[in-house]
Formats: sequence, structure tokens, C-alpha cells
Amino acid sequence: MGEAIVMEPVIVRFFRWLKSSAGITILVTLVIAAYAAMDQGAYVIINILVTGGMWALMAMGLTLMFGVMNISNFAHGEYFMIGTLVAYYVFTPLHQHLESHPNHLLTLVAPVIAVFSAFVVGGMSGILTDRLVFYPLRKRSKENWLMNCFLLTLGISVILINAHQLIFGTQYKGIVRYWPLPPVSLFGVYISIDRLFASVLAIVTIAIFWVFMKYTKVGQALRAVSQDETGALMVGISVDNIQLLAMIMSCALAAMAGGSLLFMYPSYPTVGLEPLYNSWFVIIIVGFGNIAGAAAGGFMIALLQILTRVYVGEGWEYVIPVLLIALVLIVKPNGLFGSKVRGIWEK
Amino acid sequence: MKKFQDRIGLSMPGLLFGVFLLLLPWFPPFNKEYILRWLIAALIVGASAIAFDFSGGFIAVINFGFMGFFGLGAYTSALLAIRFHLSPWLTIFIGALSPAILGLLSGLVSLRLRGMMILCFTWFVGLALMGLATKLVFLTRGSLGLPCPTLYKTASNVPYYYTILGMMFVTYLVMKLVIQSHYGLAFRAIGQNMEAARTSGINPLKFRVVNFILACAFAGWIGGFYAHYYGVLTPDLMSTAKTTEVLVIAYIGGRGSLWGGAVAAVPFVFAMEVIRSVLSDMPGLNLIIYGLFLIFVMLYYPGGLAEGYRKIVAKLRVKEIAQH
Repeated sequence: MGEAIVMEPVIVRFFRWLKSSAGITILVTLVIAAYAAMDQGAYVIINILVTGGMWALMAMGLTLMFGVMNISNFAHGEYFMIGTLVAYYVFTPLHQHLESHPNHLLTLVAPVIAVFSAFVVGGMSGILTDRLVFYPLRKRSKENWLMNCFLLTLGISVILINAHQLIFGTQYKGIVRYWPLPPVSLFGVYISIDRLFASVLAIVTIAIFWVFMKYTKVGQALRAVSQDETGALMVGISVDNIQLLAMIMSCALAAMAGGSLLFMYPSYPTVGLEPLYNSWFVIIIVGFGNIAGAAAGGFMIALLQILTRVYVGEGWEYVIPVLLIALVLIVKPNGLFGSKVRGIWEK
Repeated sequence: MKKFQDRIGLSMPGLLFGVFLLLLPWFPPFNKEYILRWLIAALIVGASAIAFDFSGGFIAVINFGFMGFFGLGAYTSALLAIRFHLSPWLTIFIGALSPAILGLLSGLVSLRLRGMMILCFTWFVGLALMGLATKLVFLTRGSLGLPCPTLYKTASNVPYYYTILGMMFVTYLVMKLVIQSHYGLAFRAIGQNMEAARTSGINPLKFRVVNFILACAFAGWIGGFYAHYYGVLTPDLMSTAKTTEVLVIAYIGGRGSLWGGAVAAVPFVFAMEVIRSVLSDMPGLNLIIYGLFLIFVMLYYPGGLAEGYRKIVAKLRVKEIAQH
């Protein structure tokens, strides 16, 4: 059967994509967001960008672990919690120092140092988790991998939450704000610098991540391992190192999200549960293994939650989005964006 | 004797365990009321683990919203007892119908889902149930708690202990009987390889739905006991953390063996409570130990208690044969 290779103009391909479920979903999302913004005010968009960026980062990390390591990580929220903790303990002493020794440069840079330390410590906890928990399991037995990993991550989650409680206490460790600067006016809405920084950081990170995955050798190796582990081994990729890298990146991204949002989410033992649930909502609705979809899905879920909070009421965020996702699953069992990575989680 | 054992599903060690539990409250440390409370809590988890394993260990459907169904049965039973002034003994059974119906619906709609997806689907159903219980304050009083009548008028825990013990055994026996029938074979086939089962002529719809209905009905039934034992219900009964407790016990006991969770529950929950009261000045340390233990078991003994038991039995049998 011969098939001609058709080079369609980009416009035609774009319109065909629009008709796919992914395209329809994104269009509908944008339309709803625009409507909500016109109805309630542009601050809706800002909230979506800030929280959506965070869920996008976390969902991307979760997808990485799914695709590359085949691990369903129920402890993902705890790395967010680690990020908030590190950012708090780095920023607070710096802040106190700045109160007595004002220094313009340090005031500007201190939050960046805090977030960066969160990123680094997140990566380190990823290394620890992989080497202590998952590497031994990979060596021992791969049978019943999914459930064992799932339970392992539950155990890790319990340990991390209670270690926080034991060592640092249950009180809310928060900051008022990162930068003592007045809010900036954008399109008629006042945005605090902290939120602006968080959303810009999220978007820039997503962009860098995208470029990394698509064009660098390591990124391609990551994608190779997520598609076919044996094949990747055959081409000479060190699967073990790649999996370690995936874990480091996943945890570092989550911690960075936590650190950059310290002004919104103070640090306390169970602060990671909300990000955990939300990043899971994202990957379920989007479909496992789809990283670009995860980024887009982060914003979609944020939109859904903000709409629920605004139009239905506080506290319904765990009912309405959940029911909607369940409905989506009934109609599209592979998620809205489908998934090119069929894995063992469909057994 | 062996035929009798196979018919009722309880081997000699199982019977001994049952007798052990029956006699436990007569012995000194265990006749104190607070110890009995721990034991009752352990048995509730144990009975739930049996129901959980009925789905998770056989048709490979991990009901991560298990406590949502449990709580639905609890709330239904409580509300029926309060609103219609029915006896709790009756409402426990009627209350089990609502999670059974929800189980039927969930089973029907989730037919195309496998593995992780159905875990998340049931998780979301559980989360939605918990959210509804919290927000529908006019019905459930939300987080304030719903007080409801208790099963017995006495303040002693002893009658409750024997009730839940009986319920746990009934749950086990009924489920064991089903497992030993051709339904159980169909369940196992579906759980191991859905395509092959379908090719062999097994209708996955029917068996998955039947299994799920039964598991959820028992969850609701035990939930009814929970409601009328503690006398007050709050929505966080349906939280993911509570489901995790049941799931962990079921797995440490050994998935696919109904009895594993029940046997593991008693020492495990008991040990947790003891550690918690001993280490009460360091809050959370008991849960850290719990998490470490879980990781340890999953790394080194993923088959759980049941597999360890089977290995010991197999070794003993080999010795027995070698000696003849």
C-alpha cells in the first residue's frame, strides 16, 4: 500500500488539530477563561496564571516520573512541602538580617536565593529517594512494580509529613511577602511582585523544559526511556542514570513550585496534599505520559478550580472538578489528550 | 476434615485464630476498656481489609475511594436511624444498600478503565463523597459531626467487640465462599489477564460489577457498625488517609488472600496504638515507624504475611513428605 507523503501547509494542519479532542479542549478552556475574565475581572486570569503555573510544574514532574520511571508518585506533594520548608528557613534569616542591615541588592536577590535553594534541596531529596528506595526495588524485583511503588510512595509520604511535624512542628511557617515592593499594574489589574515572579518563573521553566526535552540529547534520552526502556538500553542510553535524572528533575520542580509560592502556601506538614491532589487531577484528565499536555492541563485545572470557587462557592473544589474528571474518564478513558505512552499502568 | 475445611474456607490455623479472638477479652490486659477500643478499631480495619482485598486482590481493581463507600454506608445508616427512628440493627443493613448501588454505577461506568486509571477513578469518587458530606451541611452537619444512636445501650465495649468480630467472620466467610465458587475463578482470570479471560468466554462486565457491588456493600455494612459504635460521624472518615490505612493492612496481609488483612490488622493496629501512647511526647514518630515498616515490607516481602505463611506451610509439608 503506497501512501503519498503529503506536506500540508501549516494552516491546514493547525485546523485539523483544532478538531481533535486536544484542540477542542484548549479552545473551550480559552473561551471559558475569557468569559470568566470579562465577567469577574482580569484578576481571574492572574490567579489562573499563578496557580496554573504551579500545577503545571508539578504535573510535569509527575508525568516525568510516570513516563520515565513508571512510578505513580503519591508523595509528590511532599517535595512541594520540602520546597516551602527550605524557602522559609532560607528566607527568614535573610529577611531578619535585612531588617537590621538594609541592602538593596540583597533585598532583591534574597527571594531568588530562597527559591533556588528550594530547587537544589528538592533535587537532593530526589537523589536520596531514588537511591534509598527505588533503586533497591529496581534491583530486587520488577514484579508487581506499580502497586509496590504506589505503596512505597505512600510510605514515603507518611514519613515526610510526620518528619516535618516531628522536627519542625505543626505551626504554619509563612512569610507575608517576598519583595517589599508595591504591586505592579498590568492591564488595569494590580499584581503583587511575588505573584508576578511566580507566574513568570513557571512559564519560563516550562519553556526551558520544553526546549530541553525536545532539542537536547539528554532530553531525547529521557523521552527514549519513557517510550521503550529496552530500546533505550539497546541504543546505549544509561537507563539507570536517566531515571535518576528524571527523579531529580521531578522533585526539584515540585520544590521550586513550593518555594516560589511560600507567600501563598505557608509551610506546614500537610501543605503538600493540595498540590498532590491537583497534580493528580491534571495527569488523569490529560492522560498519563503527556508532558506538554500536563503543562496545559495545569492551567486548565486551575481554571476549573477558580471557576468553582467563584461561581459555586468555597469548599466545592473537591467535588465539582472531581466529578467532571470522573465524567471525562468515562467518556475518554485515556484522558483528554490521549497518550502516546501506553504503559504498564494500564494492566 | 479437609473437605469440611474447604467447604467453609477456614483451615485449622484460621479456626484457632478465631477462637483466639473470641477468648481475648477474657484475659487480663485485654479486658480493659481502652484496650478493647483499640481491638475494635483493629477489627473494623481488618473487616474492611477483607472487603478491600475482595476487589483489589482478585479483579485487580484497587478501590482507592474505599472509605468513601464505607462512609456512605455509615452516613446512610445514621441518617435512617435519626430521621426515621429505625433501630440501628436494621439501618446497618439498609445502609449497606446505598454504597452497593453506587458500586453498581461505578462498576458500570468504569468498565473501560484499567489499572491506575480505575484506582484514580475510585479515588475521585471517594473524594467527591467526602466533599459532598462536608458541604451538604443541611443533611450531614458537615464537619460538625453527625451524632447517631448506638447499637447497645451499655457503655461497655464488650458487646461491640463481639459484634464486629462476628461481622468480620461473616464478611470473610461470605467472600471466601464466593471466591471458591466459579465466580472466584472468573475474578482471578479477569484480574490476571482481561483479554484472555474474555477469550475464554468470561463476561468481564458481569463479574467486575458483581465483585464491586459485593465489596462496596460489605464496606457500607461495616461502615454502619462504625457509625453506631462511635456514635458520631465526621466527613474525614472518608479521607484518603483512612483508605490508605485499610489498603496498607490489606497489602501487608497479602493481596489475594482474604484473610491476610484480617490477621495483620490486629497486631498492626494494636502495635501502632501502643507506640503512639508510649511515644506521646514525640507526635508523629509512630507514623514514621509505620511508614518505614511499610517501605521495608514492600521492598523485602512484597507478598505480605500471606506469602510468608504459605512458604512456611510449604516448607513444613516438604519436611513431612521427606520424612516418610
